[in-house]
Amino acid sequence: MPNYMLLLHEQPSDFSGLSPEAIEAVINEYVAWSAKLASENRLVGGEKLRDEGGKHLHGFGGEFRVSDGPYTEAKEIVGGFYTIAAADYNEAAEVASGCPHLKYGGWIELREIEQMS
Amino acid sequence: MDLDKTNEIIDHLFRQRAGQMVSLLSRIFGIDKLELIEDAVQEAMIAAMRKWPFGVPENPSAWLIQTARNKVIDELRRAGKSVGLETEESFELADTASTTPDKHLSPIGDDELRMIFACCSPAVAADSRVALTLKIVGGFSVPEIARAFLSNDEAIAKMLTRAKKRLREDTRFPELPPSRELLERLDAVLRVLYLMFNEGFGATAGDDLVRRELCFEAIRLAEMLLRSPETSTPRVQALAALFCFQAARLPARTNEAGELVLLEDQDRSRWDMRLAERGLEHFRLSARGDERTEYHLESEIAGVYTLAPSFAETDWPRILACYDELQQRRYSDVVELNRLIVLSRIEGVGQALSELDARFADGRFDRFYLYQITRGHFLAEAGRAAEAEAAFTTALSLTDNTVIRRSLIERIARLAS
Repeated sequence: MPNYMLLLHEQPSDFSGLSPEAIEAVINEYVAWSAKLASENRLVGGEKLRDEGGKHLHGFGGEFRVSDGPYTEAKEIVGGFYTIAAADYNEAAEVASGCPHLKYGGWIELREIEQMS
Repeated sequence: MDLDKTNEIIDHLFRQRAGQMVSLLSRIFGIDKLELIEDAVQEAMIAAMRKWPFGVPENPSAWLIQTARNKVIDELRRAGKSVGLETEESFELADTASTTPDKHLSPIGDDELRMIFACCSPAVAADSRVALTLKIVGGFSVPEIARAFLSNDEAIAKMLTRAKKRLREDTRFPELPPSRELLERLDAVLRVLYLMFNEGFGATAGDDLVRRELCFEAIRLAEMLLRSPETSTPRVQALAALFCFQAARLPARTNEAGELVLLEDQDRSRWDMRLAERGLEHFRLSARGDERTEYHLESEIAGVYTLAPSFAETDWPRILACYDELQQRRYSDVVELNRLIVLSRIEGVGQALSELDARFADGRFDRFYLYQITRGHFLAEAGRAAEAEAAFTTALSLTDNTVIRRSLIERIARLAS
């Protein structure tokens, strides 16, 4: 089965007003979603990316330049990713559509991972 | 990431952990840093919200504490304050990979207990203590407290800011076992729990879910007091019994439409009898010693109501005896209304009505909606429908509470038919 990457795009937001109860509810939704995927053997992996924006590297004819990622000022960052297994894009999209990320203002970029075999 | 561990997140973990962490960190770093500590705990929880979707740590509690503690230290350093070596050492790194309960969190909640006593300090204005305890020990947010109190965020935030200022300036983190001075504060603590429960239990129109939570938080804190030998007294048992008996009836108190259901009409099969049994156990323990406080009397009333096999078989004389004793100790007009309702079950509605009219002949209660509702109730029972309707209509003009208004409108309609 091909693998798909879910890139979680989001806008940096201020969560300081959220109650512990609300925070717990959000976590529980993600946990329930990923546990369901895991039970269906669909979840290949997932990682959170750090918020600080990372680095951009560009090559200039034999040289390269490193710059800070634009994310600190950017309207949008990639906050993390999941890798899932699905038969095709339709199925992958269906699985991704249940991701709580979509409920909380983010959007998901779905990409099929090229199989090398 | 380990998804097998994810089931370990339990209900209300965060709310309770927030209070535990603020209490723990206040003991370690000092209550004068309360606001910095609260911010650090909030940030740790947000960090969990951002990270745990990709894998929950082996020991979620330890992870939260560790993260909050590091944020406090970072912030203190950033502000140029020295972080004493002893502070760091007394708080050696929690092993976040360990699955054993975190050693920093005392199972009986000593730090929270201390924090409850701090929140009920004489330095804190009496009317701010409930909100302060909910915020700091209970982990309730400002909007949640505002919803429960039918207030607005701004007013609650202001009240809390003032209360916390007094707490930081005038209070040291209380010691355990509590000193005699601190034990003298126990009654103030019980009063706060009593008000917290009533805020949740009263028939006000605040957010139902949050208000339920208030009741269970009051139970949790009362039972926490009971786990510590110094604060486990008969009157605390009586208070816990009262809470459990009352809360047992919560599931049947409103119908699907969110309307208030009178005790008489409640579906008793929906009552939480396990909670009622817990109440009975507390009630039994409250009888140790020769103390018979107002909490004892109130818990007895609640217990008789909740444990009666049916509404008709309620032991009215026993309830009336408790009300009589309560009224002899400290007369209250509002309690008198309740007493007369019980009296009407025994002596008939005519007797209750004439006592009611005699008691409030001076008209001091005419503009009080509960008085008008009680009077309307008696008049309706006595078959004086027109007068009953007039009383209910007056009551309707005296309260903004949507739940009560709906129930009144329904009763007026029933009278007309």
